[in-house]
Amino acid sequence: MKVLMKPIEMIAWFTKDKKPIPLRYRIIDENNTYKVIKVDRVLFAEEEKLAGNRMIVYRCESKINNLRRIYELKYEIDSCSWFLYKF
Amino acid sequence: MKNRIIFHIDVNSAYLSWEAAYRLQHGESVDLRTIPSVVGGDEKKRHGIVLAKSIPAKEYGIVTGESLYSARQKCPNLTIVPPNYERYLKASNSMIDLLNEYSPLIQRFSIDEVFMDCSHLEDNFLQVAYEIKERIREELGFTVNIGISTNKLLAKMASDFKKPDKVHTLFPGEIEEKMWPLPVGKLFMIGVKTQRKLNDRGIYTIGQLAKLDREYICSWLKKPGLLIWEYANGIENSRVRNTPYPVKSIGNSTTTAYDVDNKKEAYMFLLAIAEMVAMRARNLDLIGKVVSVSLRDQSFFSYSHQKKLNIATNSTKIIYETSKKLFDEMWNGKPIRRFNISLSELSSNEFCQLSLLEDYDEREEKLNKAIDQIRYKYGYNSIIRSCFLHSGIKPIIGGVMEDEYPMMSSII
Repeated sequence: MKVLMKPIEMIAWFTKDKKPIPLRYRIIDENNTYKVIKVDRVLFAEEEKLAGNRMIVYRCESKINNLRRIYELKYEIDSCSWFLYKF
Repeated sequence: MKNRIIFHIDVNSAYLSWEAAYRLQHGESVDLRTIPSVVGGDEKKRHGIVLAKSIPAKEYGIVTGESLYSARQKCPNLTIVPPNYERYLKASNSMIDLLNEYSPLIQRFSIDEVFMDCSHLEDNFLQVAYEIKERIREELGFTVNIGISTNKLLAKMASDFKKPDKVHTLFPGEIEEKMWPLPVGKLFMIGVKTQRKLNDRGIYTIGQLAKLDREYICSWLKKPGLLIWEYANGIENSRVRNTPYPVKSIGNSTTTAYDVDNKKEAYMFLLAIAEMVAMRARNLDLIGKVVSVSLRDQSFFSYSHQKKLNIATNSTKIIYETSKKLFDEMWNGKPIRRFNISLSELSSNEFCQLSLLEDYDEREEKLNKAIDQIRYKYGYNSIIRSCFLHSGIKPIIGGVMEDEYPMMSSII
């Protein structure tokens, strides 16, 4: 996996007690068009607070172009923003 | 009294480490700590000095506080990143949160230094020190040095020994071996000037200072001399304070982006600083009797002037008017690069002796209060004086950011 740290638009599910769960996001690809990706499975979610900045790292699995891919998303709590972290 | 165990925790190249950890978290591939890099102010605004440096940058002879221009000459491929104080405060707070799990007695000495009373750990302290150090590195992504001793001074001296990511002890029995061979300038409270004075009399190491006769140093350097003599002998017994010291003076200053050569603009800078000083005083419910203004001109020469008022105040208007008067009395016409106003001889504003000979305007007090409330609620720039419109000068100047930011202190 390569580090990308690309900002993405996200639809997530905020539950009562667990960490927010990413469901579906869209990203602008190299042809400058939106591409929607559904998160099929979250393998694990882990909170980190490097330099005191809280972020949740998700390892996820999706079907992209008919291939199962594993990648990582990051959610920054203070700024409420989502990133495609590693792909 | 039972022996105390004091930890001094010092973040290694604080600003730079925090910046590096934050950037790694945001996907940057290079760790700033592994390349020659510095955190530096904005050169266009003439704040272009080195605020923190990486260890590889230190090997080029770059020192904290020197200009970025000279740093670049020492190392042409130096990476310079701008500071972000909000980020650093967050990192510092996260470290305090972690330390709070180990002891309730924590004194924040500055943004990146903490004293902690760990007497309750008894013989376990070394193990806990390593645990804290490891946890900070693993969980928060930066490294610290921990100095351990029986008082704050020795703990602070110990954390400075070898960096980074180390635990050191300096117990009274180890002073002779570990602290006395160090150059005298390394001792807390000894600056360049004192060092020169001591060197002139053949005192080059802390040990030489410690062995001087107490009466001799007392008659030569007076009270401050006695203090450094005690420090050199490891004598210091203040407690770890988890409440802040009472404020003795309130001051703010600014280095201007260009040299100010006319009265009109100088007055505006004074007004902008007076706004900050007065607002801070009002926030702390304090009034002050002495207003002092100090200026630094383009050749880095500083001079100052102060005035004692008849009635103690925290009114923006009175502080500004007084500063203006002081400025007129001392300014020699040379372009200025730095302004400073401070308010001292502070007292509580619960009661105040008024004077028959001077006006006291209650309405103004109410106005100031209303303005403060608006500014605290909607931001400092929500309500400003019209003279600052389109002037390019910030209407309120001083401090690194809006929140209270722990600054360095010379009192342990």
